[in-house]
Amino acid sequence: MRRRKGENLLTYFGMVGPGLSVFLFIVAYPIVYSVWLSFTDFNPNRGGAWNLVGLLQYKTMVIDPNFWHSLSNNMIVVAVSVFGQIPIGFVLAYILYRKMVKAQFFFQSMVFLPQFLSTIVIGILWKRLFQADGPIARLIQIVSGDPGAQFDLMLKADTVMYPIGFALIWMYTGFYMVIFLANLQKIDTEMLEAAQIDGATEPQIFVRLILPLLSGTVLVSTILAIAGSLRGFDLIFALTTQGLQRNNAMVLSIFMYQTAFQDFNNPSRFAYGSAISNAIVVISVGLIMMSNRIGKLLNADEEY
Amino acid sequence: MAAKLEARRTALKTLFGKIVSYFVFATWTAITVIPLFWMGYSSFKSNEELVKDIYAFPRALFDNMDDEYVVITKSLNVILNYDPVADPRERLIIESTTIAPTRRLMVHFLVKDELPPEIARLKPGERLKVSQLPASMRRKISWATIWFNYTASFTRGGLAKKFVNSVLYASVATFFIVLFGLMIGFAISKMAFPKLSAIISGLIGLGYLISINSVIIPLFLLLTSIKLTDTHLGVILVYTAFGLPMSVMLSSQFIRGLPDSLIESAYMDGATIFRMFVSIIVPMTTPVIVTVSIMNILGIWNEFLLVLVIASSEFTKSLPVGVFSFSSLQSTQLGWQLAALVIAVLPAMLVYFMFSRRLMTGVVGGAIKG
Repeated sequence: MRRRKGENLLTYFGMVGPGLSVFLFIVAYPIVYSVWLSFTDFNPNRGGAWNLVGLLQYKTMVIDPNFWHSLSNNMIVVAVSVFGQIPIGFVLAYILYRKMVKAQFFFQSMVFLPQFLSTIVIGILWKRLFQADGPIARLIQIVSGDPGAQFDLMLKADTVMYPIGFALIWMYTGFYMVIFLANLQKIDTEMLEAAQIDGATEPQIFVRLILPLLSGTVLVSTILAIAGSLRGFDLIFALTTQGLQRNNAMVLSIFMYQTAFQDFNNPSRFAYGSAISNAIVVISVGLIMMSNRIGKLLNADEEY
Repeated sequence: MAAKLEARRTALKTLFGKIVSYFVFATWTAITVIPLFWMGYSSFKSNEELVKDIYAFPRALFDNMDDEYVVITKSLNVILNYDPVADPRERLIIESTTIAPTRRLMVHFLVKDELPPEIARLKPGERLKVSQLPASMRRKISWATIWFNYTASFTRGGLAKKFVNSVLYASVATFFIVLFGLMIGFAISKMAFPKLSAIISGLIGLGYLISINSVIIPLFLLLTSIKLTDTHLGVILVYTAFGLPMSVMLSSQFIRGLPDSLIESAYMDGATIFRMFVSIIVPMTTPVIVTVSIMNILGIWNEFLLVLVIASSEFTKSLPVGVFSFSSLQSTQLGWQLAALVIAVLPAMLVYFMFSRRLMTGVVGGAIKG
């Protein structure tokens, strides 16, 4: 690039400076701060006195049953996203792409809508709907004819993730649908027509042509789904009541929040909380690398 | 013959596919629309109605002509809705006996001169019906009754203030996100420092991996140490910083596509960089500005954890946090809770339906190329 008159480092930093300094101060610095915190026993109850304690917080974490409980719930959320939202989103996008329904844009925006409503409001709304004697219970009563029927999935520890999984799929599938649709529309239609003329059936076109062409999009969606599910907080927080129910449905971010901002008796609550946050980042990076790897392996035997 | 049969089979198959497709989308739409619709009309129901029949349409608050009111005295817990100094006319204070009785929420102040004498003479403790009042007052009371859940949640939950806060956060932070995003985007795509630009765009790209949730603890400690917790500035600063990666990425992509000759010609005229930025780059990037703005306005409007953690007083809370704490406190006042939900969700829905096409392209651009 040729340097123009008046274009020097000063004007360059005049352009970049304000945004970059806010970014470095608010985003970059806390990352370093978080790593440092997790290696100390930073004590907010004593005005922030600290010692370096090495891996102590991480050791506490791996023997904490709450950590494993939230991790396994979180893995359910990841599985719901990767094996629920993405395939369903793909199918919905494919239906729209092949113009199998009229009023395409109406349906598309209806599925996409929950994405942009406040997660907290959606959470509170579904919590109401899922109440033991709430609207869904009433629906069950009407359909089954049993006036005493209750919706109790939210109340039991071993079933609480089912309604939550349902709400997650309802909320985020539209996002993947829109991404898949945009990439489907980029596919060269001549190629599809050529395949049809050659006598390929619909399922064949789908499996042999469209799926391989979109493998990159599937991979990106998987990465987004993993990162999103591991940091997700609002929906489950709003869907559950503080106490036993929230603990049953606890995911890592809620575990981190409760540790750092509600467990005031724990002197190293911020240090321990940071260790959990960092673990969330490490786990999501690990899962993303793993899915990248799997994606590459699967793509390796594609023919083109 | 075989070909004909084949054709019929494929026709049947596509028909079947169509039926399944419609079924899937219709069900999905129903699952989206029905809960929102239920939330909308139920927010006009009285508490008793909500408990009694979950699906019935609202009636009690609309059918309010026979509502009974009792005359009360001007005690300390009655909040006047007029200024007694500026307007010293004598008033009859009445409170509903059906809607939140004795809680001083459904109170009206009727000017005695405008009342028929037999009603103006009523003593505290005596009762009257809405239908006995003059038409203009009847209309006013009826209106107040219909919107009771909304006014109650606005005043009781302090939602008006939180609504203003949310608007403030969304607008101010989005303004800076767009401005800084365009400035950095322009500098790294059109100014002559490619190495520095690569470093900066890499650094900001890292922001994609980090969300507010993942650094909330150090953010809280950082803002505490510079005394910015529980201030508007602190919240706006954080939203601005975390909105930058997407804004920078979309702007730099767009500006890179603009012809260099345009910028050159501005130089010929002797404009400075900043002049040129304001008069050429900003007007040319309107599509990016609109996309980035809508996405960030909606994102900030709905954000929850940051404000939950750093806003400790009512003064800085945003609407989602207000609605959340209000709904957990007022779990017995179901109608108020639903009204609060509607207040929080309606603006986002309006923006969504106005800009849904742009939002979809924005999501795709922001997600895939990142």
